[in-house]
Order: sequence, then C-alpha cells, then structure tokens
Amino acid sequence: MQTKVAPLAEAPRARLSIRAKVVLVSLVLAAIPFVGYGYVREMENILRAAQEQRVIATARAVATALHDRPRLLEFSAEDDGSRRRPAARAATQEIEQILIGLRRASSRIFVIDQQRRLLAVAGSLRQEPPAEPADTGGAWNWVQSRLLRPLWALLLERPPEDFDDAIPEELLSGGKEVDAALSGVPASRWRPTPDARAVVLGAAHPIWSGTEVIGAVVAEETTNSVLTLRNRVFEQLLTVTLAVFVLGAGTLFVFASRLSGRLRRLRDEAEQAIDVRGRVQRGFRASGDSDEIGDLSRSFATAVDRLAEYNEYLERMADRLSHELRTPIAVVSSSLDNLRTRAIPTDAQVYIARAEEGVRRLNAVLTRMSEATRLEQTLRTTERERFDLGRVVSGCVAGYTAAFPQSRFELRLPERRIEIDGSPDLVAQLLDKLVDNARDFVTPGEPVEIALDAEGGTARLSVSNAGPPLPAAMADRLFASMVSVRSPGAKPDGQAKPKGEPHLGLGLFIVRLIAEFHGGSASARDREDGSGVTIEVTLPVAAPPVG
Amino acid sequence: MSRRIAIVEDDAAIRENVADTLRRQGYEIAAHADRAQALAAFQGRLPDLAIVDIGLGADVDGGFTLVRELRAMSAELPIIFLTARDSDFDLVAGLRLGADDYLTKSISMPHLLARIAALFRRMDVLRSPSKSEETVDRGPLRLDLKRMTAAWRGQPVDLTLTEFWMVHALAKYPGHVKNRDSLMSDANLVVDDATVTSHIKRIRKKFVAVDAAFDAIDTVYGMGYRWVSG
Repeated sequence: MQTKVAPLAEAPRARLSIRAKVVLVSLVLAAIPFVGYGYVREMENILRAAQEQRVIATARAVATALHDRPRLLEFSAEDDGSRRRPAARAATQEIEQILIGLRRASSRIFVIDQQRRLLAVAGSLRQEPPAEPADTGGAWNWVQSRLLRPLWALLLERPPEDFDDAIPEELLSGGKEVDAALSGVPASRWRPTPDARAVVLGAAHPIWSGTEVIGAVVAEETTNSVLTLRNRVFEQLLTVTLAVFVLGAGTLFVFASRLSGRLRRLRDEAEQAIDVRGRVQRGFRASGDSDEIGDLSRSFATAVDRLAEYNEYLERMADRLSHELRTPIAVVSSSLDNLRTRAIPTDAQVYIARAEEGVRRLNAVLTRMSEATRLEQTLRTTERERFDLGRVVSGCVAGYTAAFPQSRFELRLPERRIEIDGSPDLVAQLLDKLVDNARDFVTPGEPVEIALDAEGGTARLSVSNAGPPLPAAMADRLFASMVSVRSPGAKPDGQAKPKGEPHLGLGLFIVRLIAEFHGGSASARDREDGSGVTIEVTLPVAAPPVG
Repeated sequence: MSRRIAIVEDDAAIRENVADTLRRQGYEIAAHADRAQALAAFQGRLPDLAIVDIGLGADVDGGFTLVRELRAMSAELPIIFLTARDSDFDLVAGLRLGADDYLTKSISMPHLLARIAALFRRMDVLRSPSKSEETVDRGPLRLDLKRMTAAWRGQPVDLTLTEFWMVHALAKYPGHVKNRDSLMSDANLVVDDATVTSHIKRIRKKFVAVDAAFDAIDTVYGMGYRWVSG
C-alpha cells in the first residue's frame, strides 16, 4: 500500500474531445443526400411516366398516319428489298418517310404487319454521347472536373451507349406489347436490351384498317436520357451536400476548437489554482468573456479566491492561536516567577511547581503549533548547499543513540557518498521528525531502523519501526497538516515520550514540506509482512560537478 | 543612583509583573502602555535601558517605530524587544533596527534579569575602559567578556547578547560538541531547536561578513555544534 503525497489523483484526460463530438454532430448533414435521393427517385418516376406518355403518343401518331394509308402496308409487305417491285419499294420508303417525320431523337420506330413481319424501321436507340462541358478554367472547374466528376463516376452508374440495339426476335414473335397491339390494344413495356446493359421502353399501337388490325407500330426509346438527367441532378446534389458539409464541418471545427481551447485554458488554470501541496494559489485570472464559459471562469475565480481566503485563515489559525496564547501564558509564568520570590509555605511550593510544569507544556504545544508556519517562512529564505547526506544521517543517528538511551537504532548506510543539494539542517530536522514518529509507535524493545541508499538519481531515506499498521482509510492524509492517524496508545513502560510532548500531527507534515523543498516526496507504507510501518523520503541526488 | 528602566508594554498584567520583578532588583521603573506616552516620556528623560513590545495595542508595529525613534535619540541606550512574535522575520527586523536583544515572552524572569544585568555591565565597561582585560582568545577569535564584544582577526563582529553568549559557550571549550539545550541555557534563552539553528546561522553570517573564509562553527548533525579552532 503505497501512498503518494501528490494529492491530485491523475485525472483521466478527455477521451473524446468536444471538437471531435461537434464534428461528429455535423455528420447529421450526411442525411441531406439521402433525403435528396428520395426526391430524385420521385423525379425519375415522373420523368419515366412522361417518357412513356411521349413514346405512346409517338406510336399513336404513326399509327394514325398509317391508318389513313392501309395500302402502304399491303405493298410494303411484298417488298423484298429488290427493285423488281417498285410499288412495294416505294410503299416501304413512304412508310419510312412517315416514321422519320414523326420520330424523335434517340428513338426507334418500326412497323410490323399481322404476320409480324418487319415492314420498316427508322431511327436508332443509340444516342450521340453528350458533349462534356468545356473546361473553362478556374479552380472550381478544376475541382469539378478533376476531383468531383471522377468521384461521382465511382458512385453513379453512367448509362452505357454501346448496348446491343438489335430488335430482338422474341419481341416480334412474342413481345407482350406487340401481342396486345396486334390484338387491337395499345400497350407499353420496359424491357432490357438483349445484352441487359440498358433498359428500353417500348410502346406498341395497333394500325387499324376499318375494324381490322392490319399491323402495329412500335416506338422505342432507352431510359438513358432519364438516367443521364437523374445522374446530373445527383451530381449537383452531392456537390452541394459536400460543399455544405465541408463548410459546415469546417465552421463547427473552428468554433469547437476555440471552445475547447478556452475550456482547456480554464482547466489548466483551475489545476494550477491548487498546487501539488494542495494549497490554493492566488492569481486565477477571471475571463472577461460574456458567455457561459466566461461565467464559469468568473465563478471559479470567485470560488478559488474564497477558498484561498479560507485556507489562509486555517493556515494562520494555528499560528495566530499560538501567538494570541503567548501573552496570557507570559502573564501566568511571569506571575509565577514573581510568586517564587515571596515566602511561600513549603506545602504550597508543589502547586507552583505544577503550575510551572503546566506552563512549560503549554509553551511546548504553542511552539509545535507554529513550527510548520515557521518552517515555511524558513524555507522561503533557505540557501541551498551541496552536502553529504550519509554524514548528516549518521551524525543524527549517533545523536539519537546518545539522547534516547532507552531506544534502539539500527542504521544502514551505503558505501558511497550521496550528495544532495539543499539544507543539511532541514534534512536533520526531517530525520528528527521521522525518528520521533517511529519512536512513538515502535513496539517496545524493537529497534527503529534507519536506512539510506541511492538508486539512479534518487536517494531513498527510510525509517521503519515494528508496530501497528497504518489505518488504510487515512493513508492519503498522513502527510497533511494537523492529521495524526496513529494514536500512540498507552505505553506500558517508560518507552513513551515524557508527558508534555504534544502529538499534533505536524511532524509528518513538516517531513513533507522539507522533502518537497528538496524536490523529493514522502510516502508511508506498511511493512510487507505487516509487522510495522516504513516511512520513506526520496530526494533527488545532486548532479555530479562538471569536469 | 538606581538605574532606570523603561517598559513599553500594552498588556497591563505583564507590564506590572515585569516591573515588580525589576523593582525588587532595585531598578527604577517607568512603565508605558503605548507609543505616544512612551515617546513623550523619553523626550523628557531617557531611561538607562528600554524593554519594548512590538505590538502596542492597535499599533501592531508600534514597537518597531518606537525603537527607531529611540535609537535616533541615543546610539548607546540598550534596547530589548520583549514580544509574543517569534517569527524569524520579526527577529531580524527588530535586530536590524538596532535592538541589543530580541526575547520572546516565554522567557523566564530570572533569564530576563540576567540579560538586563549583562547589558548594564557591558554598558559600564564601554563607558569606563578598564585596564584589566578579561578575554578569551581562540586563534583569530577574541572575546572580551567584560564588554561582551567579539573580534575576528582584529575586526569587531557585532553580536547581540544572545549571540555573544552562544559564541562564548562554543569557544570556551573548542572541539566539544554543545547540544542545543545547553547552548540555550548558556545563552539564558528558552527557545525551540529551530530558533537555535537560526541563531547559529546568523552568527555564522556575521563572521563571514568579516572573513569570507570563516568556518569555525561546525554543525554536528543530530548533536549540536562545536568550535573548531583552525
């Protein structure tokens, strides 16, 4: 159970930043092409219906024209393409003239008689490929022709112009619309070309002669023109969508970047407002912005200020309290001193002695209470020097051995010198506190173990004692001011400190202050076998002198 | 002629207690509760020694101001700060103003008397240079026990009474380690370890100001200090 002194837990950094979220939200714009797709399909249906009407109308017009000339069909039926029957040839040519007159671009019209013989054909299903729009230069055109069109070509199928446009035999022999027309009912049908590469819309219309159907006109058109139109609309739709998306996402991105940038700044400031020691730092700059983040920043600044005031009040409290108490104590002690000069009955002397002992203890308490504040003042002005840590530790331990003959100390030192930059007096004070603390809790008869070693750039100074383990819940707060988590309990023998040495829980706080002054840290943990507690201080070793 | 001591202290109980103690020793006492009253009295007649509290009622730094004014009136007058403020900052500020000693109110009356007597002795010796010199010489260090002055390589080192006593305690038996407690009792002082540390630090600085190579006070970590005679 290792407890770091750093009070701020490693806060998880935002996984998905606001910026990423806002950009994700902009994906809503991706719905635009789907909605557009629906509309385009609707339009396509309308176009198809219109095309059908048009083709039917063409077939009817031709049929009406031929209806007036029933003989043309009879002659034409005899036309075998030779010159032997000029009348038949002429009839065929006349039909073709009518067909050409009524046909429309990219449509094909043919006429058959009752025997399903093909009498005349005009036009072709193929269409001249539409001319590519001329490249007029300019960035937008370049983007359109080089980037967008190839992209759309991947998405949209371009209707082919090289389909098989032969008139399939089964259309003449058994096509539904042909059957219907020859039996007197106009009909239309979409059919695939024989190679299935395009769809052809065919409309057949009967040619009446009196009450008799003498043939049928079939007008055909591919759906390519509709498809081309649809594709162009799609291209425009996708281009607009892409533009809106890029523009919208870009704007949102910039906006979100600013937003998250401001929030990050606020976070950094908020983190810096409380330093690693958990102390509130002044100087939180409130933002002047008039929006919610500015509000947040301002209320945070207010909160930090109030917290700082309260913190300062608490920190000063021990100091102020001890200061305020010194004067009345001085009144008591100077009165006692004066009393001593008078003739006092011997049996009353003991009370004076007790009162003096009480005052002495009060003074000790007050001195301890202001010790941390005094130390902080000292730290501000302490000059650093380079010194041998081992020498300080061994000197101190020799001192403890002499000063506390009833305690046992075991010291382990490294072979080599460990030099650190700092104040040897402060390190001695730190060790005093650690040993003080260990002596408070050590099992009587067991030694206080002090060990120093260095690994890499870190010196490790640990003081370990057999005794009760750390209460788990308080481990984090062990090094805070005025926290005493281990109660020394009643010591059966004279091992305990003499009365009058108050236990205010400032010892380990002072350890932490000194360790942090040296750029190190302090931690407490139970011994691995649970037999006691080890408090360890790490201090950075001084860089070896240059040269 | 009895000596006259001025006490400037806002707390009546302490003022009277100190005054009583001193009166019993045969001193004449002038007690003042605030700065204006004290200053008016001083302008009429200077005491032989002044004991001044820093905080005088609502005037939190009134003692400092008063001592500055008092020092301007007389360069020799012994001045002692007796205050509840025990921060290093106040101590340094007080001594810088020219006070001869800085004591916290936790000092016992016998200790206070010892200091006052010592300051008077020093003043007397300074006024009438005696022929029979009582000095302690430790290499470059010379301590004049009568005048309570120290010199290092012939140059005077300006020590306060407390500092002088500490140096004397250390230099009397060179090489012997003096722990903090015995240093404190030799200096007639009841303070905590940190204050001893800062006193030693200040003493070193004063010697270093005279001689940059000074290193005669050795810290024996965990035990105390000793005088190393080069």
